[in-house]
Amino acid sequence: MKEANPPLVELTDIHLTLGSAAGQVNILRGVTLEVDHGETVAVVGPSGSGKSTMMMIVAGLERPSTGSVRIAGADFGGLDEDGLALFRRRHIGIVFQAFHLIATMTALENVAIPLELAGASDAFDRAREGLRAVGLGERVEHYPGQLSGGEQQRVALARAFAAEPALLLADEPTGNLDAATGAAIVELMFELRRKRDATLLLITHDPDLAARCDRTVRMLDGRILPEAPAQRAAGAQRIR
Amino acid sequence: MSDIALAIRLARRELRGGLKGFRVFLACLVLGVAAIAAVGSFAAGITRALQEDARVLLGGDVELSFTHRTATAAQLTAMEQVATVSTIAEMRAMARTDTARTLVELKAVDSLYPLLGSVGLTGNADLQGVLARRDGVWGAALERATMTRLGLSLGDAFAVGDARFVVRAVVEREPDRTANVFTLGPRVMIALAALPDTGLLQPGSLVRYEYRLLMKQPGSVDRVVAELKVRFPDAGWRIRGLSDATPGVQRWIDRIAMFLTLVGLSALLVGGVGVANAVRAYLDSKTQTIAVFKCLGAPGRLVMLIYLAQVLALALLAIAIGLAIGVVTPAVVSPLVADKLPVAARTGLYPGPLAVAAAFGLLTTLAFTLWPVARAREVPAAALFRDIIAPLRRWPRPFAIIGTLAAVAALAALAIATAIDRKLAAGFVAGAIATFALFFAASFAVAALARRARHVRRPGLRLALANMHRPGSPMPSVMLSLGLGLTVMVLIAQTQGNFVRTLREQIPAVAPSFFFIDIQPDQIGPFKALLRSTAGVDAIEEVPALRGRIVRLAGVPVDQVPIAPEAQWAVGSDRGLTYSAAPPPGTRLVAGDWWPADYRGPPLVSFDAQIARGMGLGIGDTITINVLGRDVDAKIANLRAIDWTSLGINFTLVFAPGTLEAAPHTFIATARVTSEAEDMVERLVSERFANVSTIRVKAALATVESTLDSIANAARGTAVVALLAGGLVLAGALAASHRRRLYDAVVLKVLGATRREVMTAFLIEFGLLGLAASAAAVVAGSLCAYVLLGFYMRVDFEVMAGPAIATVMAAVITVLVLGFAGTWRALGQSAAPVLRHA
Repeated sequence: MKEANPPLVELTDIHLTLGSAAGQVNILRGVTLEVDHGETVAVVGPSGSGKSTMMMIVAGLERPSTGSVRIAGADFGGLDEDGLALFRRRHIGIVFQAFHLIATMTALENVAIPLELAGASDAFDRAREGLRAVGLGERVEHYPGQLSGGEQQRVALARAFAAEPALLLADEPTGNLDAATGAAIVELMFELRRKRDATLLLITHDPDLAARCDRTVRMLDGRILPEAPAQRAAGAQRIR
Repeated sequence: MSDIALAIRLARRELRGGLKGFRVFLACLVLGVAAIAAVGSFAAGITRALQEDARVLLGGDVELSFTHRTATAAQLTAMEQVATVSTIAEMRAMARTDTARTLVELKAVDSLYPLLGSVGLTGNADLQGVLARRDGVWGAALERATMTRLGLSLGDAFAVGDARFVVRAVVEREPDRTANVFTLGPRVMIALAALPDTGLLQPGSLVRYEYRLLMKQPGSVDRVVAELKVRFPDAGWRIRGLSDATPGVQRWIDRIAMFLTLVGLSALLVGGVGVANAVRAYLDSKTQTIAVFKCLGAPGRLVMLIYLAQVLALALLAIAIGLAIGVVTPAVVSPLVADKLPVAARTGLYPGPLAVAAAFGLLTTLAFTLWPVARAREVPAAALFRDIIAPLRRWPRPFAIIGTLAAVAALAALAIATAIDRKLAAGFVAGAIATFALFFAASFAVAALARRARHVRRPGLRLALANMHRPGSPMPSVMLSLGLGLTVMVLIAQTQGNFVRTLREQIPAVAPSFFFIDIQPDQIGPFKALLRSTAGVDAIEEVPALRGRIVRLAGVPVDQVPIAPEAQWAVGSDRGLTYSAAPPPGTRLVAGDWWPADYRGPPLVSFDAQIARGMGLGIGDTITINVLGRDVDAKIANLRAIDWTSLGINFTLVFAPGTLEAAPHTFIATARVTSEAEDMVERLVSERFANVSTIRVKAALATVESTLDSIANAARGTAVVALLAGGLVLAGALAASHRRRLYDAVVLKVLGATRREVMTAFLIEFGLLGLAASAAAVVAGSLCAYVLLGFYMRVDFEVMAGPAIATVMAAVITVLVLGFAGTWRALGQSAAPVLRHA
């Protein structure tokens, strides 16, 4: 059953075909997905199933060959590359497995970038606040190379949430961390998401992590496998 | 605007990573900018010296000069009413002792000389005291070279013409003489009053009288000159003011500076390749950061601005260092080349040339980096996700292409606009573009050849060939960088080689051995008889000669006629005139007809075709020549193509019979003399005809050759910068491929290759690279030299095999050494760590 509000993420019959030396490769073959406001969705599936590509399409980093993408009501088909960048800046935060902090910038500067891009005059105050929220209030002037993996991912989380996005995309955020650190990061991520009432789309290979989400989407060979009705219902109940 | 501020802020943070990847970038720009700034500052320093010392160099506020004759009493009186007037006479003459003789530049000065500055004599002797007649013998001050040639010491006697002189001092500095750019003999200075005693002042002798005027009323020069012109409209004098005190020297300096600037610009262009490589490599290493920026919502334009800001910041740093080196260099080099310079350069800070050098640096940076920087914009954010990396679009967006073309056009425009010879600079620009195109084509051809030959059976050779055509091969960079630097070297070597060949072989083969000047009409018969009776002398030719000034063209005063730069020299000073019934031997008429041998009509003249074209004159036009103070109107009857390089007796103006015969004049003669007979001929002539000056063509050519050597050395010195830049780019390109080479070496070793086999494979690759780059450079440099010599300098071109082979060998050795040095470590690398991280 659909919510009264339109879904935050609406992918409709997405196909993506890329050319390679070996010929055309069909990476996505008719993906349709809706994610509601505030919902947390785990995307699981084997390597090469199209999880990351689907996330890139949701982030506006890749354009589908056919199909429509609407995020927060905006039709990506009508936005050019810079329009997509502006949209991302306002609505989407991304967390990567490899953190992807900029090595030449301090933790504070890394977190401030999205705010600076948005022209926020209080970018550094808010970035400092964000770092404090992830427990790194004392390490704002440290460079990524001076931080542990867990700390780097915390900075990345602070950066992803800095502009208070409606949608958080996370690509195996604990993949590069040990179990204890990973668990702490997951706690932090869910906590931040809850406080900001953000929608979460999470790629993971970890069944326990997937289980924490409202819903799990399974992908195989460029397609989303049909959801069991019980799972959908269970997911709906967990929406807070 | 806020985008730019943000881009600068982010760029500043990015640059915290250090300058490691930018060493070649910085070095290339520093070298090029420093070379151009140094040449410009040096030339400006000399120009400043010439300007500041203009009054001293001119010897007064204005100089009025006459050839063959003195000023009239009325003219002299008019001058003396407004100014203090010093009179000087200059001519070429033979100075001799019992055992030696030499052609000298004789300068006879009055008691007021010098009006400005002072003559530097050994022991601070007083000039007038030195030159005065004591005990019936005149004194003389000599340049040291004169004394060496004649074997004289202080106190020794020598003769000039019929007069005897005693050496009383050595001239160390003449205030009104710029150091020798080109002279036929060293200086002998005597008193003006002594000149008549030499017997050299015969009618028509080639003597120039100079009247230097120091105004009684400061600031009255222009008015006085104007009044003198009105009062003596047909004086036929040459007037030199402060603005053209040293026009020849200034032209010479400007021209050399232009040549060297163009060589410096070549260095900058070679460095440009390194700059582009460095930026490309840097951006490759920044793919992830760029993708992060994009994921965080940075638009492509901002991303591009961030990296453009970094490139520009580094360029500005390099330019600043280059300018600083450019400012300091003249002070360091100046003392080393002082004897080759007309005046000592005033070293200092010259904003003009520095601004030009900075602009060259900045435009080169933009021309070479806009393209790679614009591609940063195309880096997909998807690069952050593991499995898909879309290939970069091959072409950047239109604005980057337009921007690059605009930067290239601005670079070309600046090169042409700042050159005194725009035609040559335009030729340079065209040559540079053609050379770049040739090297791109050559690298494609080499890659294609390597690809075709990749099935060879020797694994070492196969690997070498594969390395030359695989994607990302350093071959195109090496071809361009090394090749461009070598092209400049080949161009200089081929140009100089052909000049020297012309001077040493071509000219002597056709030119006479001696020129004899100032032969009086009554001497010409005995003179020829003497030569004819001397063994080893033949091809004796003689023509009447006098000097005249072109004063009007088609009735219009020359200073009111627009004259092409290449013809300016013909009106700058006196021209040699002769007359002849028949066309001189070897005459090539390009328009009009020669007059009948028995012509007796109004004055007709045969004129140099090239100068006539530069003056816009044709057959039937009138040209007015002032000869000995009289204006002669002559109609142009025909035009001749003159080959000045034959060094035969050539005159710009040849009159028909009936006009000049009555004017006092002398004869010029030439003769071919065997080497063994040269000393004897010189001795016989100076003994029998003391007033006749003997010019040895060999000696004159040697002077020209030594001057050319100096210019070529300066050019080569500047071109070393281009080669250095090429070496840097080469080293950078090889270093960039080092990691892959390391991996190749390890894999080959794992597969059972010995270190020797691996090394051989690399050496074959480097050898082939050096060979290909240098062969292309020999072709490109020779083509440029052919165009420069054939179309601009009008010297026959022939490929000089020696410099070409030397270039190829030097290049191959350089690449081998650099390549070997960079690869040696790869051979000792243990396999495991490399394979683990591969």
